[in-house]
Formats: sequence, C-alpha cells, structure tokens
Amino acid sequence: MSDDGAIVRQVLAGDTDAYRVLIGRHQDRFARFAFRMLGNREDAEEALQDAFVRAYRALGQCADPDRFDNWCFRILANRCRTRGARRGRYEATFVPDEPALQSAADPASTNGTGPEEAEEVYRALGLLDEASRESFLLKYVEELTYEEMAEITGDSVSALKMRVKRACDRLRQLLEAKHV
Amino acid sequence: MSDEIPTGDEAQLRDPAIARVVAYARVPAQVRADFADRVLADIRAGALAVVPVRRSGERRRVSRLALAAGIAALMLGSAWAGRMTAPRSAEPAALAPAAPTIADGSVVRFVIAAPGASTVALVGDFNAWNVGATPLQATEREGVWTVTVPLPAGRHEYAFVVDGVRWLSDPNAPRAGTADFGPANSVVTVTGQT
Repeated sequence: MSDDGAIVRQVLAGDTDAYRVLIGRHQDRFARFAFRMLGNREDAEEALQDAFVRAYRALGQCADPDRFDNWCFRILANRCRTRGARRGRYEATFVPDEPALQSAADPASTNGTGPEEAEEVYRALGLLDEASRESFLLKYVEELTYEEMAEITGDSVSALKMRVKRACDRLRQLLEAKHV
Repeated sequence: MSDEIPTGDEAQLRDPAIARVVAYARVPAQVRADFADRVLADIRAGALAVVPVRRSGERRRVSRLALAAGIAALMLGSAWAGRMTAPRSAEPAALAPAAPTIADGSVVRFVIAAPGASTVALVGDFNAWNVGATPLQATEREGVWTVTVPLPAGRHEYAFVVDGVRWLSDPNAPRAGTADFGPANSVVTVTGQT
C-alpha cells in the first residue's frame, strides 16, 4: 500500500492505465463497504465506479498520495450517501443479489446456520439508519480508528462514537428479538 | 437493561449478536471481472463528453457566437507526454469536432478537460502569450474548464497552460507547424462576422 503515492504520481504524469493498479488494489475492500452500505450489487458497483472516476478527476487534489486509499474511501462514502439518499430506502432484496452470501454461511466466529442467518443479519444491518450503518461498518468491518472515521466522514469523533453505540444497540435489539 | 449491554468497542465485539453481524459484514465482496475496464472507459468517455459542440439550447442562446472552437478533451498529462512519444489510446480526437474555423462569429469558447488541474489558462497571440491574461473557469463538471473570448477575424495560434507550467496543445485543432520545443501551438481561424 505504501507505494500508492508512486502510482498516483505516475497517473498524474499522464499514464492513465496505471490507474488500474490503484483500482485493483482497493476495489475489493471498497466494494465490500459499498455492498454493505447499499445492499445490492448494482447500486454498489455504480457507486464504486463513480467514486473511482471522481477520484481520478480530482487526483491532483489528493494532498497525500501515499494515503490514496483513505482519500478515495472518503469519496466512496460520499457517493454511497448520495446514492442512498436518492434511493430512499435500503432494499431488503439484499441477499439474493449478493453472491458472497453462498460462501457466507457459518463464519468461524459465529454459530451461523447458513444463508438464512446471513439474510437475517444483512437485513438487520439494512434496517439501521444510514449514518449508523456507515459508522458501524467503518468501525467494525474496516476497523478504523475514530480519528480515521472522522477524516472520512467529516463528522466529529463524539458523534461517531454515539452512532456506533446506537448501531450496536439497534442490531442487538433486532437480532435478539428474533431469537428470543 | 442498559447496564447489561457492553458499551466499549471491544466489549461490543464480545456480544454474540454484534460478533455475528461483524462476521457476516466482513465477508469479502468482489466486483465483476471487467470492473477496472469499465472505470477506465468511463474516465475516457467522460473526457469525450465534454465536447459540447452544438448543444441545442446553447446554440440558440449564443447563435452569434462561434461555438466551441478550440475544444480540447485532454487527459491531464497525456498531451505533453503522449505527444512526445506515441499518442495514447485515451486521446479523444476520434470523436472531436472538426477543425475550429469560426464561420460567423467573433467570440470563441474554449473547453478543456484537465482532471486534477488547479489552474488552466489560455494563451495565444491574441493575449501576447500571457499566462495570467485569460484564465479558464472550472465548470460544474469536475475537471472541465472553459473560457469564452472575443477574437478578431484572422488566424490565431493558442495553447493551454495547466497549473502555470504545463503547456498543452489542442488535439482537436490544427497545429501551427513544428514547434521548436514542446507541443506545437494550435490554430483557430475566425472568418469574421457577416
């Protein structure tokens, strides 16, 4: 990851194809975030594509090319917010569109029982308000610090902590209610 | 009840319900195999899309203007480096408008796609090649800059200067012969108002 800066400089020097390297390095991580935020592959890929294109066009404004990933992630988060707001609701059709679901059954750290449980979990995630879902994903899936989250979202650390807490409370409520 | 709920970030992960969500949410997601191709195509298409030679509404509003004479859809950096070697496939010249001869106007709109640029200036014989004289304005489209300037009838040589240092010729305009160094100047011809 450390030589993202070199690739960024290569792109800025006119080598557009070098941008493929940056895309290849980060697309899977970014895709996971977009899929979880938006709930379906089509919206997620569109948001991701939009983010990479916008990042390319603004590449000269990337203040720290070595941290291209965080900078681009910020653009992606904005695109997901915009797309999510335009669409209105997180769609409960998440699961059928998610090919990864088939391999998601029974993650080692859970007592997962298969696609049914995955569907339940993803649906609970989708029922969070967008800001809480974003904060939850950044904290526990991307494993960012609150300072990094603040950099990406533009929100304060205290607001983010509150959202993470709220997201956890809501998820617990949704999932435990189902099982009790 | 809230006393029973873990509140620290690590404690949250020890909660079985939260751990379950995190485990599923961390399942990798992958994009389609041609994803990077589509991004690159979009980037290049976006550059092409800035060539508004005769948009219907604009044409009427500025019917006395010569529209989009020196339209350059360059990817920043590719012009200089590309011209010194082989043209890059990203060069948008294939869909570019015809050579900029201005048939019935004396005001010319110049457009350039310069992603990542901080400043873009138009220089030419009409402003004594003064980099500070005719700055382009960023448009609503990211990376796209434009300026409209009155030009007297005649043949004018020009170029764009990005970030004050990078001189770019217009790939969609005729070149003014071989330059002594760097990119050749571009040419726009204004035939004058009738």
